[in-house]
Formats: sequence, C-alpha cells, structure tokens
Amino acid sequence: MATTHARAAARLMISPSVILLLGWMLIPLCMTLYFSVLRYNLLMPGDTPFAGIENYQYFLTDPAFTTALINTLVLVVGVLVVTIVGGTLLALLLDQPMWASGIWRILVIAPFFVMPTVSALVWKNMFMNPVNGLFAHLFKALGLAPFDFLAQAPLLSIIGIVSWQWLPFATLILLTAMQSLDSEQIEAAEMDGAGALSRFRYITIPHLGRAATVVILIETIFLLSVFAEILVTTNGGPGNASTNLTYLIYAESLLRFDVGVGSAGGVVAIILANIVAIFLMRAIGKNLDA
Amino acid sequence: MARAVTPQRKALNTAIAAIVGALIFFPIFWTVLTSFKTEAQAIADPPVWFAFDWTLENYTAVNQRSDYLLHFWNSVVISVGSTLLGLVIAVPAAWAMAFVPGRRTKDILMWMLSTKMLPSVGVLVPIYLLFRQLGLLDTRTGLVIVLTLINLPIIIWMLYTYFREIPGEILEAARMDGANLREEVVHVLLPMAVPGMASTVLLNIILAWNEAFWTLNLTAAKAAPLTAFIASYSSPEGLFYAKLSAASTMAIAPILIMGWFSQKQLVRGLTFGAVK
Repeated sequence: MATTHARAAARLMISPSVILLLGWMLIPLCMTLYFSVLRYNLLMPGDTPFAGIENYQYFLTDPAFTTALINTLVLVVGVLVVTIVGGTLLALLLDQPMWASGIWRILVIAPFFVMPTVSALVWKNMFMNPVNGLFAHLFKALGLAPFDFLAQAPLLSIIGIVSWQWLPFATLILLTAMQSLDSEQIEAAEMDGAGALSRFRYITIPHLGRAATVVILIETIFLLSVFAEILVTTNGGPGNASTNLTYLIYAESLLRFDVGVGSAGGVVAIILANIVAIFLMRAIGKNLDA
Repeated sequence: MARAVTPQRKALNTAIAAIVGALIFFPIFWTVLTSFKTEAQAIADPPVWFAFDWTLENYTAVNQRSDYLLHFWNSVVISVGSTLLGLVIAVPAAWAMAFVPGRRTKDILMWMLSTKMLPSVGVLVPIYLLFRQLGLLDTRTGLVIVLTLINLPIIIWMLYTYFREIPGEILEAARMDGANLREEVVHVLLPMAVPGMASTVLLNIILAWNEAFWTLNLTAAKAAPLTAFIASYSSPEGLFYAKLSAASTMAIAPILIMGWFSQKQLVRGLTFGAVK
C-alpha cells in the first residue's frame, strides 16, 4: 500500500543508478557502432571517412577471425566441461561426512581468489616452463623429454589454467545446491531399494540441474572475455594458436590502433554475448518470480 | 535422522578430501614457499621443499625495486573506492525496489543485470578514446569510475536480495510503537541491513581487486594496480621466480583471507540470488 508520495520517492532513489547504467551502456555502444563504419586508424591522422561495412567485411573474412572464433569456443567448452564435471565430483566429495570439512573446502575454493595475472604467471613460469618449471623437473625425473606446454599446446595449457581458476566457483555453487537437497527424499529412495548410482542419477542430478545451468551461463559470460591469462602467457601465439575473440579485438584496437576494425569486432562480440545472455536472463528471471 | 557412518568411512572421506584439497591448493602453497627461497633455490632441480635458507630478501627486493607499495595502494584505492561509491549509489535504489516495489521493478532489475552481460571488449575502443580525451588514462579516478559502473548491477542485486528478506511488518510495528522515522531507520532497519551490506562490500572489493581487463588496458605506470603490475613480470630478465612469488604472495594474501570469510555470500552474489 505504497502511497503516491512513497512511489515518487522510490523513483527518485532508483534514478541515479538507472541513469548511470543507461549512460554506461548507451554512450560507448553508440560510439562503437559509429566507429565501426568509419575508416579510422590512430596511426593515420586525418580524415575518418565513412566506410560502410568494409570493417565488418575485413574483420569477418580475416582468417584470424575464424581461428579466434574456434579458439573461443574450444576455450569456453573445454573449461565448462572440466569445471562442471570436476565441480560435481568435488561437490559430491565435500558433501560426504568427514572431519575438518571446512578446511578442505577452503583449500578447494582458494584459486578463485587469485588474481588472473598472478595465476597465469605462476603456472607459466613455475609449472609449465620447459626448463625450470616443476613439470619439467617431474618429466625429467620420469625420464621423459621436456614439454613446452605454452608453445606446443598453448590453448590446452590456457584451458588448464582457466579451469583451475573456475573449478572453485562451480564446486561452491554445486555444493550449495547439493546441501539444500532434502535428505529424507534420499532416504526414502534408499528404503525403496534404489542403489547409490540410481539415487545420484534420478535425485541428485535433477536437483543440481538448475544450479548447473546457472554455473554454465555465468561462466560462459566470463569465459567469452578471457583476456589477462592470454596476455601474460602467450600473447595469443604462437601465431594465432591461442588468440580468442577478446584478444583479437584488443590486438586490432590497441596494438594495431585500428579503431574501425576493432569496433566492428566489438559489435560482433556484443552480438555473440547477447545470444548467451538471453538464456541466462531467462534462467535468473524465472527464479525472481519464485 | 542422520544416516549412520562408520568411522572408517569417515576417515577415508577425510583422506581423499585432504589429498584433493592439497593438490588444488598446491600452486598457491608453492608460490608462498618459493617466495622465501633464494633465486637459485627457487629453480633447483630436484625442487627443495623445506630445507632451505628461509629468507625475506625477495620481499625487501620487491618493495624496493618497483614501487610495489604504490601499486598495492592503487589496488586498495581502486577496489575500496569503487565499492564505496557503488554502495552510495546502489543502497537507495535497492532499498526502494525492495520496500516500494512497483510493477516495473522486476524489469528494471533484469535490465540492470543485462548491462553486466555487455562484453568489456565491445566497448574497449570508445572507453579508451574517451579516457584519452578526458585525461583519465592511467589515473585512479578513471578506474574507480569504470569499476563502479561494472560492479553496480551486482551491488544492487545483492543488496536487493538482502533487503527483501527484511520483513516490512517490523517497520510497521516500530511505527505503531511510536518510533519516528529516524529511530525507525537507526534502531530497526540499519541493524538488519548491515550484515547484507557488509557481505556486498566484501565480495565487491574482491571482484574489483582481481579485475584484469580494464586495469590492464587503461593504466600504465602511475595508476596500475597489482593486477597490471604483476603482468609486467611476463617479460622477465634474469632469475626472478622468487621475486615473482613474493610479489604474488603479497598481491593475493589479503584477498584470499577476505574470500575465505565470504564463501557463503560469494554464491549468492555471483549467481544474482539464483542459488542460495
């Protein structure tokens, strides 16, 4: 029974946030769209003539775009598979009765709080370095030839690093969902003679479904934008072997200073992210009604 | 009724969890350990575990060499500054939406969330050029502004889910008992709102501290926070593992500790209340 007066006050309280976010969204978005149809390179001062769809044509037909698109997909799907499967197993494990469970949970969650540049550099130098890394020492001790992870399997190595960072997130959310599972339901199934596997298949998995959807969608949003890990480990290389869409656009805009092509790439990235976002919003919006 | 668990089963679970936990935590442990070694010991093969000359020289070296404290301070200013600024803007909005919900409240919330889905790289060029024009490149002010706007939707959402749990009847009861508006806010609302606000602040400091797209692209030497400073170790000269470890340890320690305290809120904040 809010009065008109209260409504007006509420509107006044909400408006700063709305105006700021609207500005933050619309102004850069319009500028990106505008730049994307100009021939505009910061290295070539002078006119910025209208270029139509030239930049889009250039960006989309550049072989690097196809590579980057595939790399982006491989990176996102690879990390999702590792974190969802690993996260489910870890959550199952941590949900079991045990001593000092809080301590083990803390150890598992810790990587999430490590800033991306630190975790990328620690993995790159102290583990994956072909001469001085721990893996190199281990391989040598086992009589194997040293393996230069970031040169020979750059994308796979980055998937490994990023998975390490995101495994805690998936674990934590799946564990939270698992702990809200009604134990009476499980006991009832047990009494009815359901084995451990079918209990997991028919009770736990459906219950985790929604949490897993949220994990997948949120991780996808972040994983589409993986940047720092690539910048400090491989710089997108060798060649374009570990360049994703975000890194490609960064390279066009801030390394080659091509504002036009970089902006066209930005528009493409926004469209791709929006496709994911629509699904995410549905999942979260449903919950808002509840 | 809890199901009976044999001590053996419990011991086995504990052992597996300890091993898995140790493996996942190992890179962090190894970084901290290496930070106390000399550079020669840091790359020794076979690796040295505990029997080395523990030294603090890397911490001294890092602090002297590269204005480490300046970058640390930049991180503090940027993460705390953007969180507090965000809070000032978000509290009224979340408050109004939680206590005076209108027909459009849900739409507004969903729209705010949708701004978070805009990939940063999509607006990299205009933000970079705007900042260059306005002289905000490589300034702490510039980063505070960007990070505030980036995290504003999360702050509003988290506060909203917390505020919504405060029962409105309590306010009415207080009013009936003759409390005036000031008393209502100070004695009834604030005590109930403070825990949620604290969690929100904690999570957002963590997110801002670790943000590594805008901090890398919009700063150079002056305003670079630790994310960008650590990135400068990617083109090393000479032996640097122990120093890298020391710099990394100092960069992650405060946030690791805060993170461990905010585990529960983390789930809620990062899933926009979809999982509690």
